[in-house]
Amino acid sequence: MKFLPAVCAALILTAQLSSAPERPARVFPYSYHLEELPDGLHLVTVPTDFPHVVAVYIVVRTGSRNEVAPGHTGFAHLFEHLMFRGTEQYPADRYNSALARIGAYSNAFTTNDYTCFHTTFSKEDLETVLTMEADRFQNLKYSEADFRTETLAVLGEYNKNSANPSQKLREVTANLAFEKHTYKHTVMGFLKDIQDMPNQYEYSLRFFQRYYRPEYTTIIVAGDVRPKAVRDLVDKHWGSWKRGDFRPEIPAEPAQDGPRATQADWPDRTLPLVSISYKVPGYSDTGKDTAALEALALLAFSPASDLYQKLVVRERKADELSADNPLRVDPALFEIRARVKSPADVDAVRESILETVASLRERPVDAAHLTAVKKHLRYAFAGRLDNSETVADILASYVGLGRTPDTIDKFYTQLAQLTPEDIQQAAAKYLTANGRTLVTLMPPEGSK
Amino acid sequence: MKLLWAWLLVSSVAAAQMRVVAMPGKSPLVTFRIMFTAGSATDPPDKPGTAYLTARMLAHSGTKQLTYQQLLDALFPMAAGVDVQADKEMVTFSGSTHVDNLEQYYQLLRAMLLDPGWREEDFERVKQDAINFLRVNLRSNNDEELAKEVLEENIYKGTSYGPYSVGTVSSLESITLDDLKQFYKAQYSQTNLTLGIAGGYTPSFLERVKHDFRSLPEGSGFRPREKPPALIQHNRAIIVQKDTRSVAISIGFPTLGTRMTRDYPALLLVSSYLGQHRSSNGVLYKRMREIRGLNYGDYAYIEYFPRGMFQFEPSPNLARHIQTFQIWIRPVEPPTATFALRLALYELDKLYNEGIPEEGFEQTRDFLNKYVNLLTRTRSAELGYAIDSIYYGIPDYNDFVKTRLATLTREEVNRVIHRYLRTDKLVIVAVAKQADELKRQLTSGEPSPITYNSPKPPEILAEDKIVEKFPLHLRPEDVTVAPVDQVFEK
Repeated sequence: MKFLPAVCAALILTAQLSSAPERPARVFPYSYHLEELPDGLHLVTVPTDFPHVVAVYIVVRTGSRNEVAPGHTGFAHLFEHLMFRGTEQYPADRYNSALARIGAYSNAFTTNDYTCFHTTFSKEDLETVLTMEADRFQNLKYSEADFRTETLAVLGEYNKNSANPSQKLREVTANLAFEKHTYKHTVMGFLKDIQDMPNQYEYSLRFFQRYYRPEYTTIIVAGDVRPKAVRDLVDKHWGSWKRGDFRPEIPAEPAQDGPRATQADWPDRTLPLVSISYKVPGYSDTGKDTAALEALALLAFSPASDLYQKLVVRERKADELSADNPLRVDPALFEIRARVKSPADVDAVRESILETVASLRERPVDAAHLTAVKKHLRYAFAGRLDNSETVADILASYVGLGRTPDTIDKFYTQLAQLTPEDIQQAAAKYLTANGRTLVTLMPPEGSK
Repeated sequence: MKLLWAWLLVSSVAAAQMRVVAMPGKSPLVTFRIMFTAGSATDPPDKPGTAYLTARMLAHSGTKQLTYQQLLDALFPMAAGVDVQADKEMVTFSGSTHVDNLEQYYQLLRAMLLDPGWREEDFERVKQDAINFLRVNLRSNNDEELAKEVLEENIYKGTSYGPYSVGTVSSLESITLDDLKQFYKAQYSQTNLTLGIAGGYTPSFLERVKHDFRSLPEGSGFRPREKPPALIQHNRAIIVQKDTRSVAISIGFPTLGTRMTRDYPALLLVSSYLGQHRSSNGVLYKRMREIRGLNYGDYAYIEYFPRGMFQFEPSPNLARHIQTFQIWIRPVEPPTATFALRLALYELDKLYNEGIPEEGFEQTRDFLNKYVNLLTRTRSAELGYAIDSIYYGIPDYNDFVKTRLATLTREEVNRVIHRYLRTDKLVIVAVAKQADELKRQLTSGEPSPITYNSPKPPEILAEDKIVEKFPLHLRPEDVTVAPVDQVFEK
């Protein structure tokens, strides 16, 4: 048993935030216990000061990124579904009834990098939840008939998403921007693979054997709990889980050698979407790049940016403008997106965004604006910490990147130390024409 | 998580004064929920969307002192904002701030609600956003929400709840800035106001907030309630025709089973049993998705529940004096649409005729007993539920539900099912590409058999034989096909 005493003192947030934002300080205010069990399973326990409720988030570091086998995209997400199909001890009905009786809220989600199963409940039901979760992670059992039925629910999910042009834009952008890396497909997977899923029962069993293993998994327990009691329960119910040996070879994406662009057509009336993406490195808390791009997204494309004021407020050519800095394991896409009110203004909006990107490369941003962005990011983080579920959810996102909770303070320290020159350097390094993918989603011609 | 009722201070000194819900605490955050009963039921009849636009204008425009640009710049470092929700009865402004920034944030919030800027350029932007919401976000990008709102429109046709709260494209185009100012003057009054605040504020701060909001006109009290709609005489269906992959369906009818009645907890139990939102425990989910793989999920509601595809819990402050019973069938592959609709109605019919089984009753009761605590796990939700409880005239929501569940019997629940639910006089809305073919299937009385990609137990196949012929009671004249471009247009 290895015990990593990564316990930090609880700090009073008010004091930190009132102090000069430039000064590095802890933003994550809770003590936490991080432990690694002999089989490789990780456990993070966070006693919060919110009474009665506990949130258990179980993170499997397997997402669409792990889907390297051709024709088998979407399987990480499929398992988000299959995990609710039950075991011998707890068939689906019994599992659901047990959760219902304790009034638990339970769900799951999948990202590019990880799959997360989460349950929120009253503290007295902790053992019930950890027992049932341990059972399904170690003993999931589903028939081929159940498997085939569940694949239809996944198709149903694809269908309900498909009414939104954002899904199409995401699919087209990822497919164009990536050649080799598995970020080429979305979390849902390619439609043809989803349609073929009913025939892939055998492959699904292999997928489970490979990835639903302790070395891929972290249990996060946040709320009204004591770490020792949690650890004892985890030892009791998860202690006999067997380590696996599968390591996927995720192909590296070759350097992009020039701008890429295409148009995606939408069959019905909608507003054009302009998406401009750049390849940026995977998440890091040791260098400045991830932090600089996080700040840059807000500096240049949030409601407090000059471009937003121009396009959305003054000229009213767009009604949405935002940028998303991906916090991903591997290099991914920093995406700037605008929704344009009239097809006639698509070119003007695109040019305005490109001009803004060019100016970010050419000169440092305003120092006072950067200070405001730093403040915004810290208060936005503090504002989310208002219940145990969100605390666990935030930790899950960093655990999914293969990090421990201390990365949060490291990352916010990087943010606090950023200078306008850092922003300019990140823009000059990554927001370049050679790494750019530009996709415009257009309604049919003549539609209003 | 849950504050004791004793901590909650509800004060309404005189009839013509605002109500205040105050939940002081040690949190470093301060949360506001400011609710006016100034929803779309008070829209001028020829200008639906006035209440919605007024609320959006207040939340997304400059103040007398600050332009919108200056306002956004001021809010940005605090990572704060003001959200707005407008429904038939209630308009709610909500936001929270770190206590470090309370003074500065409150000054902005106060100015937005009490000293709005009413600038023409803000109005044009807000109005255009509303039109784009109807044309793009709703009609073009979200078949499921579209089906739900068309259902609401048709359920309440002819009453003040009929028009969609966002209005129609043509009504929005006709509304002027003066209309909004007049509406604000008439409806944003102390009488219509419930002010909610929670977190680490001081008593003197709260006094100042109350003092500031006393600058609003006193108002003349609540409007008299309309009689409930009784217009649905026969099953009706509306098929919205648009180019889309699958078929989104909603079914519903109005009900008086609101939180005002002591039957509400029983109805909550019934809807949870039939289809707890986004849970795998409901009958509909099990029978439609889990066993038959028809779609992504199927749920039932006893209260209006918009935006269900984006959220797992209902939003508070959608209180109404008439509520909506609704079944939500998530998009199905077109060849199975008629079967899916029949199966949902078959399950409703079974519940109506056979009642809730003992095991389902006990399990759902136990679930709700604890689940209601999770509904109020954020301060904002806690405030919201408390505000709704004032509207409905009930005590603390959680206590109300739990106390009633404790003595509820299965027989009472089954009586409540007969009192409030029904299996006829339903409105059905489908969003589909092959609208004429779907209309033919719905009205022909032909069976709609289903095939599967895997073996099914004999009892399911036998049940399918009944479901595929389950009567829909729809004549051709009961089914309307509406091209999507005409929906919420005029």
